[in-house]
Amino acid sequence: MFEEDLTKKEKYQLKKDEKNREFEQVKKQKTVKRFLLWGLVIVVIGGSIWGLSRIAGHSPQTQTAVLLDAISTNDWVTGNQEAQTTLIEYSDFQCPACGAYYPLVHKLIQEQGKNFKFVYRHFPLKQHSNAEPAAYAVEAAGKQGKFWEMEAMIFEHQNDWSASNSADEIFRGYASALGLNLELFDADRESGEVKDKVKSDYQSGVRAGVNATPTFFLNGKKIQPRNYEEFADFIKQVQTDGSNS
Amino acid sequence: MVQIPKWLLISFVLVSFTGFLDSSFLSLEHYNRGILPCYIFSGCDEVTASRYATVAGVPISLAGATFYLSILIAAIFYLDTKNAKALKILKFLPAVGFLASLWLLFLQFFIIKAICFYCILSLVSSTMLFILGLYLFVLLKKDRKREWDGKIV
Repeated sequence: MFEEDLTKKEKYQLKKDEKNREFEQVKKQKTVKRFLLWGLVIVVIGGSIWGLSRIAGHSPQTQTAVLLDAISTNDWVTGNQEAQTTLIEYSDFQCPACGAYYPLVHKLIQEQGKNFKFVYRHFPLKQHSNAEPAAYAVEAAGKQGKFWEMEAMIFEHQNDWSASNSADEIFRGYASALGLNLELFDADRESGEVKDKVKSDYQSGVRAGVNATPTFFLNGKKIQPRNYEEFADFIKQVQTDGSNS
Repeated sequence: MVQIPKWLLISFVLVSFTGFLDSSFLSLEHYNRGILPCYIFSGCDEVTASRYATVAGVPISLAGATFYLSILIAAIFYLDTKNAKALKILKFLPAVGFLASLWLLFLQFFIIKAICFYCILSLVSSTMLFILGLYLFVLLKKDRKREWDGKIV
């Protein structure tokens, strides 16, 4: 009787122990599972951010020299015309990035213009409906000797005309502010000569592998400066390289 | 408490992860490069460089990344703990993201007049999350009604 009781108790205890063990094991498994789950989440999120940060902002750098059309009398050149160092920009007046780079380039020419010559070439992108009219307006102003003045005007007021349906009228206003002969200005920007100039600039860009604006070439090499300091460094570098060789 | 179908939670995870990758990429581009160039055949430069792309200096893409990450964490948290608070986030937060996406679409169409692929991808993700959120909302409402009816009977 007593023995039987004991075994019953024992059996009960045994069962209880086993249940406890099972419970502990399940609990342990759950904790491990949870750790694995959140560990995986952290690894996947962290890994993808790391991967993306490597892709973002690092477009392939072409440091090899490309075949660039030589500077011709058709090109608009400023800075030191005699300098050995040449900075060429392929640019689109309606491109916000070109507008953002404009003050950097302007400052660079003002502060270090004696060290290099700067060439502006048109690369109006198709998605910018006012980019071509802007290029024509600047070329037409150039015919009256005010290329750089009009370039500055158009970049500085980029926000005013970019999305406008009457950009041509706005450009006319700039021409008037610059004191240009308006009749001549209107005729010139409609002329085949001006349109051909813009087109030939664009084609020379395509030949040089330009696929985005602004694209800068320093002595034939594509550079991607992110700020003024990097720009100045690039110029300094080619000059020291040039004087060493 | 109603059983939330696993496929629904997994969908939340997958869609919000896509949105998270998309908007993180844009945020990283924003901080890495400073100035995004304009590419041939892309309107992204105009959208991401526009003055609507940041609010008080914070890029909208970063807000987007936070939004998608919150949903992602909430869905996984629910899968893990079955905590009903996570469901609340999954029910209501997608509506906020969807409205924000609609506003951005309006800006792209009518104000900036340029469409950016990454922003459209984000719109698709946030719309899908919104639909999933609605489904969850209906599911929970039905369940509550059933519970209520049960009590009356």
